[in-house]
Amino acid sequence: MTIEITTYLLYLAISVALTIWVARTLHKNGRVFLVDVFHGNEALADSVNHLLVVGFYLINFGYVCMALKLGYDIASPKEGIEALSVKVGWVLIVLGGMHFFNLFVFSRMRRRKTVHGQRPPVGPDEFTPVHQEA
Amino acid sequence: MFYLTVLYDSDCGLCKRAHEWLAEQPKMVDLIFVPCASDEARKRYPQLNHELTKNDLTVIRDDGAVYFGPKAWLMVLWALSRYREWAYRLSTPELLPTTKRVVSAISQNRYQISRATGMAR
Repeated sequence: MTIEITTYLLYLAISVALTIWVARTLHKNGRVFLVDVFHGNEALADSVNHLLVVGFYLINFGYVCMALKLGYDIASPKEGIEALSVKVGWVLIVLGGMHFFNLFVFSRMRRRKTVHGQRPPVGPDEFTPVHQEA
Repeated sequence: MFYLTVLYDSDCGLCKRAHEWLAEQPKMVDLIFVPCASDEARKRYPQLNHELTKNDLTVIRDDGAVYFGPKAWLMVLWALSRYREWAYRLSTPELLPTTKRVVSAISQNRYQISRATGMAR
């Protein structure tokens, strides 16, 4: 097996493992948020949670595939490790970005829910009788 | 609460523009617009001091609670789905004095602002 093939295989293995780990974390810890957002409707929360994770997987695996190609030859194991490091580094950054985007979506949904059905921000100055239509 | 009645100055370009903008916004509470001190307003609220409503925006809840000036602006903001958070943010004890100052300044200079921005008085 050449150094290039080894690098590629290592890259794929590490990226896939990282993606699965982050997706599982999101899936496990995002659920409680969604249950809250959907007023305790667990079936709906689980469904949305699953859909979010699927999207997460698609985008990340898509990125991992697109970024596989190195575009230059590797002469030594040292260069192979360096190339691997850069590639995995990018995957980590993309994963981090996606992760925060997901958190943003969760918190936004939650905030939208808490904003509903609240009392007026200020109290009235006075009361006036309202003319009732006959 | 089902709706808020907004008594606005139909002589002022800025107010009419604001009215048009508000009409398009998604709402959590319906807004009914009635020109201030009009026959319609006097009929709806026979005991309200209508001279006072000419000075600044007035909002009246369907149960008869009246909000004048900056409070009325906050109530309108509160009625809008997209801006309800802002109504709470602007009415915190830290921000309320500034909100009141800014809103009052805009209200008092509404004819000048309308003229300066090319919206007919």
